[in-house]
Order: sequence, then C-alpha cells, then structure tokens
Amino acid sequence: MIAIGLEGSANKLGVGIISHPSPGKPAQIFSNLRHTFVSPPGEGFLPKDTAKHHRSWVVQLVKQAMAEAKVTIRDVDCICYTKGPGMGAPLQSVAVAARMLALLWEKELVGVNHCVGHIEMGREITGADNPVVLYVSGGNTQVIAYAEQRYRIFGEALDIAVGNCLDRFARTLEISNDPAPGYNIEQLAKKGKVLLDLPYAVKGMDCSFAGILSSIDVLAAELKANPETKDHITGEVITTADLCFTLQETVYAMLVEITERAMAHVGSSQVLIVGGVGCNERLQEMMGLMAAGRGGSVFATDERFCIDNGIMIAHAGLLAYETGFRTPLEDSTCTQRFRTDEMFIKWRD
Amino acid sequence: MEVQTAPPAHQAPSSQSPHLLPPIFQSDTTPPQLITQGAEALLYRTTYLLPTLPCALKYRPSKPYRHPILDARLTKHRILSEARVLVKCRREGVPVPAVYAVDEREGWVMLEWVEGEVVRVRVNEWLRRRKELGVQEGVEEEVLKGLMGRIGRAIGRMHGVGIVHGDLTTSNLMLRTRREDAKCGDEVLDGEIVLIDFGLASQSSADEDRAVDLYVLERAFGSTHPRAEGLFSELLSAYGTSFKGANVVLKKLEEVRMRGRKRSMLG
Amino acid sequence: MSLLQTIHLEHLPTTPIHIALYRNVTNASFLQQQLLTGNTDFEYAFIDASVIVSRIHVLSAAYRAINALHSHRLRSRNVHSEIVFSLSPNNNIAESFRRFGVTAATTNLLVVKVGGDGEEVRRHLEGAVEGEGVGFEEEVLAGMVDVGRVRKIYKLNGSRGGAKKGVANRVGNEGEEIRELEVSVLGAMALRGASN
Repeated sequence: MIAIGLEGSANKLGVGIISHPSPGKPAQIFSNLRHTFVSPPGEGFLPKDTAKHHRSWVVQLVKQAMAEAKVTIRDVDCICYTKGPGMGAPLQSVAVAARMLALLWEKELVGVNHCVGHIEMGREITGADNPVVLYVSGGNTQVIAYAEQRYRIFGEALDIAVGNCLDRFARTLEISNDPAPGYNIEQLAKKGKVLLDLPYAVKGMDCSFAGILSSIDVLAAELKANPETKDHITGEVITTADLCFTLQETVYAMLVEITERAMAHVGSSQVLIVGGVGCNERLQEMMGLMAAGRGGSVFATDERFCIDNGIMIAHAGLLAYETGFRTPLEDSTCTQRFRTDEMFIKWRD
Repeated sequence: MEVQTAPPAHQAPSSQSPHLLPPIFQSDTTPPQLITQGAEALLYRTTYLLPTLPCALKYRPSKPYRHPILDARLTKHRILSEARVLVKCRREGVPVPAVYAVDEREGWVMLEWVEGEVVRVRVNEWLRRRKELGVQEGVEEEVLKGLMGRIGRAIGRMHGVGIVHGDLTTSNLMLRTRREDAKCGDEVLDGEIVLIDFGLASQSSADEDRAVDLYVLERAFGSTHPRAEGLFSELLSAYGTSFKGANVVLKKLEEVRMRGRKRSMLG
Repeated sequence: MSLLQTIHLEHLPTTPIHIALYRNVTNASFLQQQLLTGNTDFEYAFIDASVIVSRIHVLSAAYRAINALHSHRLRSRNVHSEIVFSLSPNNNIAESFRRFGVTAATTNLLVVKVGGDGEEVRRHLEGAVEGEGVGFEEEVLAGMVDVGRVRKIYKLNGSRGGAKKGVANRVGNEGEEIRELEVSVLGAMALRGASN
C-alpha cells in the first residue's frame, strides 16, 4: 500500500510518499520533500505568514513528490495529513490541500497525530522496538512510553517547549534562522567553554524552560552592556558562544534526566529521540552516555526524519489506514491541541 | 493508568556494582550490598560506625553526561535538600528514617535502616491471603481501613510541618517490622508507618503541592491495588483531621482530580 | 587508671581510634593549655563529656573527621581538632572548641585519639590526665550528659516534637528519649555544611 503524507503544523511544509510492501517488511520511502518558511533574524514565524507560505508551495511540492516517487494517482491508497497539534492557520492550510486532493483523486483521508508520526517514523527508521521516546521540538517536549495501545506521556514541559526556548534565545541574540535557529545555536555552542549559572528546573518527570529563558536573556543583556565581563572562576572573557554552551548544557541535562527517570520507571534501556531538537548532536551524545550507563542505547535519526516532514505523516497514517482507520471528509478538521495519548494505537500489541 | 511498570530491580546480593562507590566504602572487607538502582541514586545496605548498627547508604553517582560543574552543583544540592527535609521531619515527629551522616561532595547520605517492608508488598500479601480464604471484598476490612488511616495521619503530619514528598506511592511507605511472627493473618498490616525516599521532596506549605501529593498517591494506589482502591476515602478522612488546614487540601484535591495532572498541551 | 577502648569504625578498618572516659578530672586547665600551646605530645581530642549524648554521638564526629582527613578536607588544624569541630551544628570553629572541647570547668572528660599504638596511648594518658577512669559505656555517658545544654547547643528546644514527643505512635520512655535526642543531634551535625 502507498500513502502520501502532508505536514504543515509549524514552519515546515512537508510532502512524502511511502510504501508498505507487506507486513514485516521495512517501509520504502519514495519521496520526502520539505520547504521551510524562514523568518528574518530576530523574528519568529507568524501563523499568518506561515500559512501563506504553505498555501503557495503545497501544489508544487505534491507534484514534485509524485514525480520523484514515480507513482501515479491510481497507485496512491490514501491521503494522510496532520490533524494536530500545531499552529492553527498553517494546519488549516494543509488540511484544505489534503481535502482537495481527496476529492480530486477520489481517495480516503487519514488524519494523523503529529507526535505519533514522529514516534512511528523514528521506530521505523532506527528499528528501536519499544523505546522510551523523548519528543523534543519547537512546540513539544514530552517523555513517552508505550503501554496498552497508547503512547503515554510520562513527563513533559510545564510551560514552553525546549525548542521554543532555544528559538527565542536565537531571536534575543539576533542570529540567523537559516536553516534553523537551534542549528545555529548548536554551532555557536561548540565554541563555548564557560558554564554559567542557570536555574535547573526538573520536577519529577516534568520540567520547565520559561525561567531558564528569562535568566539567559538577562545574561545576554548583561553581556551586551558589558562585553568585557569575565567569568569569576576561570577568569575568561564571557562570550555569546558561552551563553549558547551554557543554555545547551543545562536544558539537555534536564531532558536526559527526565528521560532516564522514565526509563527506570518502565524498566526500559532503549531511548529514541525524535523531533527537530533531536538533531542536536550534543543532546544525542549526552543521551548516549546516559543510556550506556543503563546498559542500553540511544536511537536517533538525521534531519530528514527528525525535523517535521511529510513521510512520517504518510507512514503513521498508513499504519492506521491498514487497521481500517479512516477520517471522513466531514470530520477532516484540524486541532491545535491534540495530545499524544488521545490516539488509539491499534497497530501495536 | 496501566503502565508496564517494572518493580525496582532487586538485585541478587553481590559485591559487583555498576558504579564505583566513593573511596571511603572501597576499603571494606564486607562491601555495601546493593539493594536497588533508581534513576538518580543507588541504595545499599551497610553499617554505620559499629557492626551492630545497620544503615542505608544512598549514593548519587556523578552523571557522565552532565557538565562537571553542573553535576557537582546538582548532586550537592540534592543530597543536602533531601537530608534537610528528613532532619526537619524527624525532629518534628514525622515518621521518617534518621539521618546519620552526609557527604554532599562525594554524593552520599547514610540513613537509618528501617526493618520492614513497603506497604505495596504488605497490602498485596493481605489481599492475596483473603482471596485464598475466600473472603468477599467489602467484608472484614477493618484492618486495612486502620492501615489507611495510619497512612493518612502520617502524611498529614508531614504536610503539617511544611514538607511535601513529591513522589508518594505505596512503595515509598514502609511498615516497620514489630514482631517476628507478624506475618500471620491480619497482623501483616501491623507496624509503624515510615515515609521513605525523599529524593523529590521539598519544603512547601502550598495547598496545591499537598493536594498533588495526595493525588499522586491516589493514582498509584488505584493502579497498584485496584481491589483496595475503594478504601482510599479512609485515608483521606484520617488525613482531614490530622492537621489544621487539611480540609482545605481535600477541597483542592477535588480540583486537582478534575483537571488531571496534565494540562492540554501546546505552549 | 584509664580504661582505654580501641574501636575500628566501619569503613575505616585501617584507622583505629582509642577512647578513654574520665570523671572527677582535676587538671582540665592543664590539658586545655597543652592544646592551646600546641604541645605535640598531646595529639588528642579532649571533649567535655557533659555535652555528649551517647557513644554514637562522639563516634559520628570521629567518623566525619577521619573521612575529612583521608579526603584532604580538614577544616581545622588536624584530625583531633576536627573531631571537636565535627560535633558542631554550625561552621564556627572557635565556638565549637568552647562548647565541646575541654575547658577549665571540665570534670567529665572524653579523650579520643586517632591512630597510634593503644598501649602507648594508655600509658601517656595515665600520666597526663588526673581523674578517675571509667568505661566508655552508654550508661556512664547518660549519667554525665547535661541534656538541657545539649538541647540548647543543637537548638532542639524550639521544635514541636523533638525528643520529648518522639516519633508518632511510639511509646515514649527514657531510653527512647535519649535515642531520639541522639537522632536529632546526628541530624544537626550532618547538616553542618547545609547552612552556608
């Protein structure tokens, strides 16, 4: 069976085409295209502009994906789209496109939970069978484990998502959003050496990032006002790179800690990192050290699958479709709030 | 919530430990014996000062993934905050293990060894025996009701002195062993309640925090002992009379239940 | 005549400690003076036994001091002064000597010596301390302790329950009371580093 997936819950528009040859065989990726709306330095992406971006690119991307996949309309079994969670206007733009395709091609629709898309794609690509999942992106921070037909949320961010914290700090520093603000913070952090004091906000398996963001913003303002400031321990002049380094070391330590707690709780030694922030190599390295200490291993994917994409929506949608799940046209809405554990996972034991 | 929760890894007595203990514990001819390995800490059984005084050694090894400065800061802070909470509780008459010694730089604390078993084990034992004897649910439950009342009062006493536990489950409540033969019949539920594992505890007098404590225990109780879930009200009513302000907390608990722990997402 | 007891504390098998207890001591001033002048023949912790609740109380201080010695974290001059300082609930070293160390007024004296040959220690103490040697036993210590002073030093009067009420649903008696006082004292000592 073959599915096309449309994703546009944030600033990436993704279209992917996947094939599930037969049960037990690995999925085949026919095409996986993405176009990103990049906002100017110092600015975030606004829903209105992002939706406009998606509307103007979706037709071209679908055409290109079909061409690259070398499939015809007849080959496609269903049209999968992101039902939520995400930003309202961009979600709606893509849902409209999905409905249009469904009517035009006379195919059935499958609404997909964005988070479940990430998890299923991560499992498919890495072969991690039953991992604890850390899902980290601009909109979500969750520690998830599967139990009895649901992806249960064990811990999550109580205020802003970790990716949002990083993105907003990139705005404070007015560094480029191309290709992604988090990527540019990561590159800067590699040059940092001095670890400054930031709050550390873990509560059980939950964590919070708003206080950290305001603290690092204060440090950035101080640095701007007084660029010669020296670290009181090492005597080194503090740089913007040190701020990025400090921010990464702190928030990633928090993420690894809550993940480890969940692993201890469910007795798992595998961990899978998904979501845009999951591309970060320092996070992957830290998670790897933790997992090794528990006699396990970390699974992560590269930017093709970590960052929002259409193929994950096609994949998770097709898994649901194969179990008989359909989204009738009149129900093919989208929703900004759609919790990972609301989705019934019929395709797993 | 039904989750595939593995019980704490009770390892076979072994001198082999995945972590190297601090130097002071390495020279021993009888090394500390590993009891459980949590995410944060390793719990050992050993002795304090004299061979006749057993104690629990809680060791927080450094985390290789953390920056050393951050690691040292967190370890120190957590060791001290847990010890501070325990000392305060014990001084004010809350039943918790005594603190014997602390080394926050090396990351360990030695606590009184509480002889006994966790409530989870005892309650399951009691339920199993009743089932074997064919006793109906809802019949002759006074002993279990009594236990629930004692738990409620112990939690109330802790909240009353300004401490919240942060991780109340029936695995973090112990029943001290009283008699050698305490394992027959209803006596399986005998013994003084001792609250343990204050790794996530904090000093707070906020009704919200107290209510969340009760809510976490209520959910844990429901998933661990579904057959005894109906008796949770016994715990709450004993809690309600245990300190001034307890009734406000019970009101708050209703609110917490309504909204669940998790808010709807998207920040 | 001194009744010297040698103890190997748990986890410190290679560092024996020697302990002697005296009552009716008449030369406390002299002993204090030896410490103040730094007489190297007097490398002992001289402790006023009226502020010692139990064996565990003083052994805890010794344990902490030896641990500090081995890990190069002594805060005071040597391991013996560190034992006296380890009895303290706060970081004021000078105050810890006034409160727990030997003073001119001391009549009940507890001597702790880390390391060294037991026989030599015994002989030296015999000539140095003028007083009546008694066993380092719980009952003897219980007869010497000034509970009121201990409570004051460790600030245990303000607490609601403390040793008096003891732990919930436990029957209180004198033994339990001392035991609970000991627990409070150990907690206060252990948290010495937590106040700063």
